[in-house]
Amino acid sequence: MLPSGLAELVADEEDLARFLTQSNHFNTEVVKPAALLPSPKTRETSVFRHGPSPLNTLWAIGLEAVGTRPLYGAAIFKAAVVRDASLTVEPKEPPPRHAVILKWPWMESDPDLQKAKRKELAILIVSAAGAPVLR
Amino acid sequence: MPETISARDVLGLTPPYALALERSAVSTEARAVRQAASEVVERAERTRTFGRKAEAISQIWALANECASRDWNGEGALPIGQLAVFEAAAFIRALPEWIPLPEFAPEPDGSISLDWIWSRSRVFSVSVGPNDRLAYAWLDGTDRGHAVARFDGERVPDRILEGIKVFLQSANAAVGPR
Repeated sequence: MLPSGLAELVADEEDLARFLTQSNHFNTEVVKPAALLPSPKTRETSVFRHGPSPLNTLWAIGLEAVGTRPLYGAAIFKAAVVRDASLTVEPKEPPPRHAVILKWPWMESDPDLQKAKRKELAILIVSAAGAPVLR
Repeated sequence: MPETISARDVLGLTPPYALALERSAVSTEARAVRQAASEVVERAERTRTFGRKAEAISQIWALANECASRDWNGEGALPIGQLAVFEAAAFIRALPEWIPLPEFAPEPDGSISLDWIWSRSRVFSVSVGPNDRLAYAWLDGTDRGHAVARFDGERVPDRILEGIKVFLQSANAAVGPR
Protein backbone atom coordinates (compact mmCIF):
# COMPACT_ATOMS: atom_id res chain seq x y z
CA MET A 1 0.00 0.00 0.00
CA LEU A 2 1.28 3.49 -0.89
CA PRO A 3 1.27 6.46 1.52
CA SER A 4 -1.82 7.76 -0.29
CA GLY A 5 -3.64 4.52 0.53
CA LEU A 6 -3.72 3.48 -3.11
CA ALA A 7 -2.53 0.10 -4.33
CA GLU A 8 1.05 -0.25 -5.51
CA LEU A 9 -0.13 -1.52 -8.85
CA VAL A 10 -2.13 0.82 -11.07
CA ALA A 11 -5.10 -1.25 -12.20
CA ASP A 12 -6.13 -1.25 -15.85
CA GLU A 13 -9.56 0.14 -15.04
CA GLU A 14 -8.18 3.07 -13.01
CA ASP A 15 -8.71 6.58 -14.35
CA LEU A 16 -5.62 8.70 -14.90
CA ALA A 17 -5.71 12.48 -15.14
CA ARG A 18 -3.17 14.49 -17.10
CA PHE A 19 -3.57 18.08 -16.00
CA LEU A 20 -3.68 20.69 -18.74
CA THR A 21 -1.66 23.80 -17.97
CA GLN A 22 -1.19 25.07 -21.52
CA SER A 23 -4.11 26.64 -23.36
CA ASN A 24 -2.79 25.36 -26.70
CA HIS A 25 -2.84 21.76 -25.55
CA PHE A 26 -6.56 21.28 -26.10
CA ASN A 27 -9.64 22.60 -27.78
CA THR A 28 -13.22 22.04 -26.68
CA GLU A 29 -13.41 18.67 -28.41
CA VAL A 30 -10.02 17.04 -28.01
CA VAL A 31 -6.77 17.06 -26.13
CA LYS A 32 -3.80 17.45 -28.47
CA PRO A 33 -1.03 14.84 -28.54
CA ALA A 34 1.56 17.40 -27.39
CA ALA A 35 -0.12 17.41 -23.98
CA LEU A 36 0.85 13.79 -23.42
CA LEU A 37 4.41 13.82 -24.72
CA PRO A 38 7.01 12.97 -22.07
CA SER A 39 9.45 15.38 -20.48
CA PRO A 40 12.85 15.32 -22.23
CA LYS A 41 14.39 15.51 -18.77
CA THR A 42 12.75 12.50 -17.13
CA ARG A 43 11.37 10.76 -20.25
CA GLU A 44 8.13 10.33 -18.32
CA THR A 45 4.66 11.84 -18.46
CA SER A 46 3.25 12.88 -15.13
CA VAL A 47 -0.34 11.83 -14.31
CA PHE A 48 -2.58 11.51 -11.27
CA ARG A 49 -4.70 8.55 -10.32
CA HIS A 50 -8.12 10.16 -10.32
CA GLY A 51 -11.19 10.12 -12.49
CA PRO A 52 -13.51 12.94 -13.59
CA SER A 53 -15.57 12.87 -10.39
CA PRO A 54 -15.89 14.31 -7.93
CA LEU A 55 -14.68 17.34 -9.83
CA ASN A 56 -13.80 19.41 -6.78
CA THR A 57 -11.38 16.70 -5.63
CA LEU A 58 -9.87 16.47 -9.10
CA TRP A 59 -9.25 20.23 -9.20
CA ALA A 60 -7.87 20.26 -5.66
CA ILE A 61 -5.29 17.65 -6.67
CA GLY A 62 -4.63 19.54 -9.88
CA LEU A 63 -4.08 22.91 -8.24
CA GLU A 64 -1.68 21.34 -5.79
CA ALA A 65 0.17 19.64 -8.64
CA VAL A 66 0.53 22.57 -11.03
CA GLY A 67 1.60 25.16 -8.46
CA THR A 68 1.69 28.62 -9.99
CA ARG A 69 0.86 27.48 -13.51
CA PRO A 70 -2.74 27.86 -14.70
CA LEU A 71 -4.95 24.80 -14.51
CA TYR A 72 -7.33 24.65 -17.46
CA GLY A 73 -8.59 21.10 -17.12
CA ALA A 74 -7.55 17.50 -17.49
CA ALA A 75 -7.35 14.70 -20.02
CA ILE A 76 -8.77 11.58 -18.44
CA PHE A 77 -8.19 8.05 -19.68
CA LYS A 78 -7.93 4.52 -18.34
CA ALA A 79 -4.59 2.97 -17.40
CA ALA A 80 -5.41 0.18 -19.85
CA VAL A 81 -5.16 2.70 -22.71
CA VAL A 82 -1.56 3.43 -21.75
CA ARG A 83 -0.72 -0.26 -21.65
CA ASP A 84 -2.49 -0.87 -24.95
CA ALA A 85 -0.07 1.68 -26.42
CA SER A 86 2.83 -0.52 -25.19
CA LEU A 87 3.69 1.98 -22.48
CA THR A 88 3.87 1.48 -18.73
CA VAL A 89 2.22 3.33 -15.88
CA GLU A 90 3.64 3.17 -12.37
CA PRO A 91 2.94 5.02 -9.13
CA LYS A 92 5.48 7.67 -8.16
CA GLU A 93 4.58 9.23 -4.82
CA PRO A 94 4.93 11.80 -3.36
CA PRO A 95 2.85 13.74 -4.14
CA PRO A 96 -0.09 11.53 -3.22
CA ARG A 97 -1.81 9.81 -6.16
CA HIS A 98 1.01 10.74 -8.50
CA ALA A 99 2.00 8.25 -11.22
CA VAL A 100 4.09 8.34 -14.37
CA ILE A 101 3.76 7.00 -17.90
CA LEU A 102 7.11 5.57 -18.92
CA LYS A 103 8.90 3.35 -21.40
CA TRP A 104 8.40 5.88 -24.19
CA PRO A 105 10.49 4.96 -27.28
CA TRP A 106 13.81 6.74 -26.86
CA MET A 107 16.70 5.32 -28.82
CA GLU A 108 19.52 7.73 -29.49
CA SER A 109 20.34 6.26 -32.92
CA ASP A 110 17.42 7.95 -34.68
CA PRO A 111 15.90 10.58 -32.37
CA ASP A 112 13.53 11.95 -35.00
CA LEU A 113 12.00 8.59 -35.77
CA GLN A 114 11.69 7.88 -32.06
CA LYS A 115 9.96 11.22 -31.65
CA ALA A 116 7.52 10.29 -34.42
CA LYS A 117 6.78 7.05 -32.63
CA ARG A 118 6.15 8.87 -29.35
CA LYS A 119 3.75 11.16 -31.21
CA GLU A 120 1.83 8.18 -32.53
CA LEU A 121 1.48 6.75 -29.03
CA ALA A 122 0.45 10.13 -27.63
CA ILE A 123 -2.23 10.37 -30.35
CA LEU A 124 -3.55 6.96 -29.30
CA ILE A 125 -3.91 8.08 -25.70
CA VAL A 126 -5.57 11.42 -26.46
CA SER A 127 -7.88 9.68 -28.87
CA ALA A 128 -9.07 7.42 -26.06
CA ALA A 129 -9.33 10.37 -23.67
CA GLY A 130 -11.75 12.26 -25.88
CA ALA A 131 -12.89 15.72 -24.86
CA PRO A 132 -10.99 17.41 -22.06
CA VAL A 133 -12.67 17.90 -18.68
CA LEU A 134 -12.45 21.67 -18.31
CA ARG A 135 -12.53 23.77 -15.17
CA MET B 1 -8.80 24.55 -48.24
CA PRO B 2 -8.83 28.30 -48.67
CA GLU B 3 -12.30 29.60 -48.23
CA THR B 4 -14.25 30.51 -51.34
CA ILE B 5 -13.94 34.17 -51.98
CA SER B 6 -16.78 36.20 -53.37
CA ALA B 7 -16.64 39.54 -55.09
CA ARG B 8 -18.74 40.92 -52.27
CA ASP B 9 -16.11 39.76 -49.78
CA VAL B 10 -13.27 41.16 -51.80
CA LEU B 11 -14.55 44.50 -52.88
CA GLY B 12 -17.92 44.91 -51.34
CA LEU B 13 -19.36 45.12 -54.85
CA THR B 14 -20.07 42.71 -57.65
CA PRO B 15 -19.05 44.64 -60.81
CA PRO B 16 -15.21 44.25 -60.74
CA TYR B 17 -15.56 40.50 -60.28
CA ALA B 18 -18.06 40.33 -63.11
CA LEU B 19 -15.73 42.41 -65.27
CA ALA B 20 -12.95 39.93 -64.60
CA LEU B 21 -14.94 37.17 -66.25
CA GLU B 22 -13.79 36.44 -69.77
CA ARG B 23 -17.21 36.46 -71.33
CA SER B 24 -17.73 40.10 -70.41
CA ALA B 25 -14.87 41.39 -72.60
CA VAL B 26 -15.50 42.22 -76.26
CA SER B 27 -13.48 45.25 -77.44
CA THR B 28 -9.81 46.03 -76.78
CA GLU B 29 -10.83 48.55 -74.13
CA ALA B 30 -13.14 46.03 -72.55
CA ARG B 31 -10.32 43.48 -72.53
CA ALA B 32 -8.05 45.99 -70.81
CA VAL B 33 -10.72 46.66 -68.21
CA ARG B 34 -11.18 42.93 -67.78
CA GLN B 35 -7.43 42.49 -67.30
CA ALA B 36 -7.34 45.23 -64.67
CA ALA B 37 -10.35 43.77 -62.90
CA SER B 38 -8.75 40.33 -62.92
CA GLU B 39 -5.66 41.75 -61.31
CA VAL B 40 -7.70 43.46 -58.61
CA VAL B 41 -9.57 40.25 -57.82
CA GLU B 42 -6.42 38.13 -57.94
CA ARG B 43 -4.57 40.52 -55.62
CA ALA B 44 -7.47 40.53 -53.19
CA GLU B 45 -7.59 36.73 -53.23
CA ARG B 46 -3.86 36.50 -52.65
CA THR B 47 -4.07 38.98 -49.78
CA ARG B 48 -6.88 36.99 -48.19
CA THR B 49 -4.92 33.71 -48.36
CA PHE B 50 -1.71 35.31 -47.21
CA GLY B 51 -3.63 37.03 -44.43
CA ARG B 52 -4.70 33.67 -43.04
CA LYS B 53 -1.14 32.38 -43.18
CA ALA B 54 0.19 35.58 -41.63
CA GLU B 55 -2.27 35.13 -38.79
CA ALA B 56 -1.13 31.53 -38.34
CA ILE B 57 2.51 32.63 -38.24
CA SER B 58 1.60 35.25 -35.61
CA GLN B 59 0.08 32.45 -33.54
CA ILE B 60 3.36 30.53 -33.80
CA TRP B 61 5.31 33.54 -32.55
CA ALA B 62 2.87 34.03 -29.68
CA LEU B 63 3.26 30.37 -28.74
CA ALA B 64 7.04 30.67 -28.83
CA ASN B 65 6.92 33.76 -26.61
CA GLU B 66 4.79 31.87 -24.12
CA CYS B 67 7.24 28.95 -24.10
CA ALA B 68 10.50 30.86 -24.47
CA SER B 69 11.90 30.06 -21.06
CA ARG B 70 13.27 26.77 -19.85
CA ASP B 71 10.84 24.57 -17.94
CA TRP B 72 7.78 26.41 -19.24
CA ASN B 73 5.62 23.41 -18.32
CA GLY B 74 7.12 22.86 -14.86
CA GLU B 75 8.31 19.43 -16.00
CA GLY B 76 11.65 20.27 -17.56
CA ALA B 77 10.46 21.38 -21.00
CA LEU B 78 12.97 22.95 -23.38
CA PRO B 79 12.24 26.45 -24.67
CA ILE B 80 10.87 26.94 -28.16
CA GLY B 81 13.68 28.68 -29.99
CA GLN B 82 13.75 30.97 -32.99
CA LEU B 83 14.96 28.23 -35.32
CA ALA B 84 11.87 26.15 -34.59
CA VAL B 85 9.69 29.21 -35.22
CA PHE B 86 11.43 29.93 -38.53
CA GLU B 87 10.99 26.33 -39.64
CA ALA B 88 7.32 26.29 -38.61
CA ALA B 89 6.67 29.61 -40.35
CA ALA B 90 8.39 28.36 -43.52
CA PHE B 91 6.26 25.22 -43.37
CA ILE B 92 3.07 27.29 -43.14
CA ARG B 93 4.15 29.49 -46.05
CA ALA B 94 4.92 26.39 -48.10
CA LEU B 95 1.54 24.74 -47.47
CA PRO B 96 -0.51 24.53 -50.66
CA GLU B 97 -3.73 26.51 -50.58
CA TRP B 98 -5.92 23.41 -50.65
CA ILE B 99 -4.67 22.28 -47.25
CA PRO B 100 -6.45 23.78 -44.24
CA LEU B 101 -4.23 25.52 -41.74
CA PRO B 102 -3.35 23.42 -38.68
CA GLU B 103 -3.67 24.12 -34.97
CA PHE B 104 -0.45 24.68 -33.01
CA ALA B 105 0.81 23.30 -29.73
CA PRO B 106 4.11 23.50 -27.88
CA GLU B 107 6.00 20.26 -27.29
CA PRO B 108 8.20 19.62 -24.26
CA ASP B 109 11.33 19.14 -26.39
CA GLY B 110 11.03 22.68 -27.79
CA SER B 111 9.31 21.70 -31.04
CA ILE B 112 6.04 23.05 -32.36
CA SER B 113 3.27 20.62 -33.13
CA LEU B 114 1.14 21.31 -36.19
CA ASP B 115 -2.10 19.40 -35.74
CA TRP B 116 -4.90 18.67 -38.20
CA ILE B 117 -7.70 17.30 -36.07
CA TRP B 118 -10.88 16.15 -37.78
CA SER B 119 -12.12 14.15 -34.79
CA ARG B 120 -10.63 12.32 -31.82
CA SER B 121 -9.90 9.31 -34.02
CA ARG B 122 -8.73 11.25 -37.08
CA VAL B 123 -5.58 13.19 -36.36
CA PHE B 124 -2.50 14.11 -38.39
CA SER B 125 0.32 15.71 -36.42
CA VAL B 126 3.68 17.10 -37.58
CA SER B 127 6.50 18.20 -35.24
CA VAL B 128 8.62 21.09 -36.41
CA GLY B 129 11.82 21.65 -34.50
CA PRO B 130 15.08 23.49 -35.09
CA ASN B 131 16.36 21.04 -37.71
CA ASP B 132 15.01 20.08 -41.13
CA ARG B 133 13.67 16.66 -40.10
CA LEU B 134 9.94 16.53 -39.44
CA ALA B 135 8.61 13.78 -37.18
CA TYR B 136 4.97 13.09 -37.94
CA ALA B 137 2.29 10.63 -36.95
CA TRP B 138 -1.34 9.96 -37.67
CA LEU B 139 -4.41 8.10 -36.55
CA ASP B 140 -7.23 7.43 -38.98
CA GLY B 141 -9.73 5.15 -37.29
CA THR B 142 -7.86 1.90 -36.86
CA ASP B 143 -5.08 2.90 -39.25
CA ARG B 144 -2.10 4.59 -37.62
CA GLY B 145 1.55 5.23 -38.23
CA HIS B 146 4.55 7.49 -37.93
CA ALA B 147 7.48 8.60 -40.09
CA VAL B 148 10.09 11.28 -40.63
CA ALA B 149 10.49 13.53 -43.67
CA ARG B 150 13.02 16.17 -44.63
CA PHE B 151 11.79 19.72 -45.19
CA ASP B 152 13.89 21.93 -47.47
CA GLY B 153 12.24 25.12 -46.23
CA GLU B 154 10.34 25.70 -49.45
CA ARG B 155 8.32 22.64 -50.33
CA VAL B 156 6.23 20.55 -47.97
CA PRO B 157 7.43 16.93 -48.30
CA ASP B 158 5.25 14.89 -50.65
CA ARG B 159 4.71 12.16 -48.07
CA ILE B 160 3.17 14.66 -45.68
CA LEU B 161 1.01 16.22 -48.40
CA GLU B 162 -0.16 12.76 -49.44
CA GLY B 163 -0.93 11.88 -45.82
CA ILE B 164 -3.08 14.98 -45.31
CA LYS B 165 -4.73 14.47 -48.70
CA VAL B 166 -5.97 11.03 -47.61
CA PHE B 167 -7.67 12.64 -44.62
CA LEU B 168 -9.20 15.38 -46.74
CA GLN B 169 -10.49 12.89 -49.29
CA SER B 170 -12.11 10.68 -46.70
CA ALA B 171 -13.59 13.76 -45.02
CA ASN B 172 -15.15 14.71 -48.35
CA ALA B 173 -16.29 11.13 -48.97
CA ALA B 174 -17.92 11.06 -45.54
CA VAL B 175 -20.12 13.96 -46.60
CA GLY B 176 -21.23 11.92 -49.62
CA PRO B 177 -22.61 12.94 -52.98
CA ARG B 178 -25.52 15.33 -53.07
